[in-house]
Amino acid sequence: MIVCVAVVGHQNNPLYIQSFTDADDALKLHHIVHCSLDVIEERVNNPKRSGTTLNEAFLGLLYPTVNYKVYGYLTNTKVKFILVTTDLDVRDTDVRSFFRKFHAAYVDAVSNPFHVPGKKITSRTFAQTVSNIVGSYGLN
Amino acid sequence: MGREVAESCVDTMLMEMVAMYSARFYANKPELAARRIEAIGYQVGHQLSERYTMERPRFSDHLEAIKFICKDFWSEVFKKQIDNLKTNHRGTFVLQDNKFRWLSRVSIDPSSEKETEDPSTPGESKAAQAVSMYLYFPCGIIRGVLSNLGIPCAVSADISSLPTCSFVIRVKA
Repeated sequence: MIVCVAVVGHQNNPLYIQSFTDADDALKLHHIVHCSLDVIEERVNNPKRSGTTLNEAFLGLLYPTVNYKVYGYLTNTKVKFILVTTDLDVRDTDVRSFFRKFHAAYVDAVSNPFHVPGKKITSRTFAQTVSNIVGSYGLN
Repeated sequence: MGREVAESCVDTMLMEMVAMYSARFYANKPELAARRIEAIGYQVGHQLSERYTMERPRFSDHLEAIKFICKDFWSEVFKKQIDNLKTNHRGTFVLQDNKFRWLSRVSIDPSSEKETEDPSTPGESKAAQAVSMYLYFPCGIIRGVLSNLGIPCAVSADISSLPTCSFVIRVKA
C-alpha cells in the first residue's frame, strides 16, 4: 500500500507531498522523503558500473527502512519523484508504470500557465489524478 | 488524447503578440517589449521541455541536450529538424534553420531594401529590424528549454539572410 508520494524540485525544494494514510505520522513520512533525497544525489553522482544504466530515469529501490520501501525517479529536468510504500513484495513493473503515469500527471500540472515554476503545485486536478493513480496501483 | 489547433491560429497569435507588445504595451520602448516577449518564451520553453523530455533517458552532457533541441524538440515545435549545427567546443553553438517556420510568411518590402544602400546607416535594414521582433519568442523558448535542463545560457538570433535563421546559444560557464 502506498503511504506517501512526493515531488521535489531541482533545488531540493518540495513541490508536492501527499500522504495516503492517517495511521502514520505525516512528519515521519516527510523525514523519510527528505533522507531519500541524499540517496538520490549519491546514486546520480556515483553511477554504479554494474547493473543500472547511467541515464535511466527510474532509480529503483533507494533504501528500505524497517516498515517502508522508498522508490525514486529522476526526470530530465532534475525533478525527483519519491514513492514510499509498505508493501512487502513489490513488482518492478508496477512501480515503473506508477511513475510513468505520475510523470504524465506532473507534466500536465506544470503546463498550467498559472503554475509558477519552483512553487508548490496547487492544482486540485493534479491531486485528484494522483489519488486515482494511487488507488489503481497494483490492481492490474 | 491531444487536441488539435489550426496552425494559422498559432501564426496569428504570434503576430498579435509582437504587435501588441511593440505597439501598445511598450510603444517606443522596443527593448522592454523584446524583454517581455522573451520572458514569455522562457516560460513556454520551460513547460514544453518538461513535456518533450518525458520519454527520454537523461542527457549526459551539454552536447546531448543541444542535439535534443536540434532534432526532437525542433520537430515537435516546428515540424522539421535544425539543418546545421556548429560549435566552437567552448560553449557556443549555432543552430541554423534554412526555412524557419514562423518567418516563412514574412515578406520583405522591396522598396525599403533600396533605401538601405545608403552607407551612413550602420548596416541593419528596416526590414531586418522589423523581423527581429518576431525572433525574441523562439529565442526565449530555447533559453527556457536549456535552463530547465540545467544549462544556463544566452540565446540570440541572426537573420542576415531570410528565410534562413540562425540561433546563437552561449552557454554560461
